[in-house]
Amino acid sequence: MPLPRADFDDLEQRDPGLARERTSLAWGRTAISFAALGGTVLKASVVPGLVIMLIAPAIWWIAQLRKAGGERLWLMTVSIVAVAGLALVVAFTSHGASHALRP
Amino acid sequence: MASSWDWISPNGAAKMIEEGTEPDPRFTFANERTFLAWSRTALALVVAGLGIVQLLPPFPGVPLGRHLLGVPLIVLGAVLAAVAYIEWIRNQRALRHGDPLPRSILPWLLATMITVMAVISAVVLLLSAIR
Repeated sequence: MPLPRADFDDLEQRDPGLARERTSLAWGRTAISFAALGGTVLKASVVPGLVIMLIAPAIWWIAQLRKAGGERLWLMTVSIVAVAGLALVVAFTSHGASHALRP
Repeated sequence: MASSWDWISPNGAAKMIEEGTEPDPRFTFANERTFLAWSRTALALVVAGLGIVQLLPPFPGVPLGRHLLGVPLIVLGAVLAAVAYIEWIRNQRALRHGDPLPRSILPWLLATMITVMAVISAVVLLLSAIR
C-alpha cells in the first residue's frame, strides 16, 4: 500500500535523524572555516591567503562528490596539513607589520 | 591485509575500510561529522597560531615570544588533522566489524597541549612584565 502523500514528503522519514543533511551542513561549515582562515592569512600575506581562500570552494566541491568517504576525508586532511605548512611559512617570512592589536 | 601505514594514501585508506559489512549509514555520517568537527578545530588552531604571530605586538624582553606561542599551535593544528583522519579510519573499521569503538586520544591531546600552551603563555607574559 503506498504511503500517504504527507508521510512520503516527510524528510525525517526519508533520512532518519537527518544525518545526510547534517553532514552536508558540517561540510559547509568546514568550507567556511577555510575561507575565514584565508581571510586572516590575506591580511599578512596576499598570495598564500588567496590560495587558502581558493581551497574553500574546492572543499565545497569535494563535499558534493559521491565518492568513497575515505578519499574525500583524505583530501581534507591533506588540505589542512598543507594550509598549516603555508601558515608556518607566512609566520616565519612575513614581519607582521600590521600589528593590528597594538594599543 | 591492510598495513598500519596504509592510511597515508587515499587508496590505502579505502582498502583499510573495505573489509567487514556496511554499517548503518547514520553511524557512518556521524563518524564523518566528528572528523569534520576535529578538522574545524585544527583550522581554528592554525588561525589562532597565525593570529598570535601576525597580530600581537612583540613581547618586550622576550625575543621570538610570539613565535614561541604561535608556531606550536599551527603545528598542533596539522597534527590534530592527521590524527582525526586516523581515528576516522579506526572508527569506521570498528563499525564495519561490529567491534566496540576505540578510545579517542584527541580530547587528551588537545587538553594537554592547551594546558602546556597556557603555562608557556604565562611564563612569556611574566618574563615580559619583569624585563
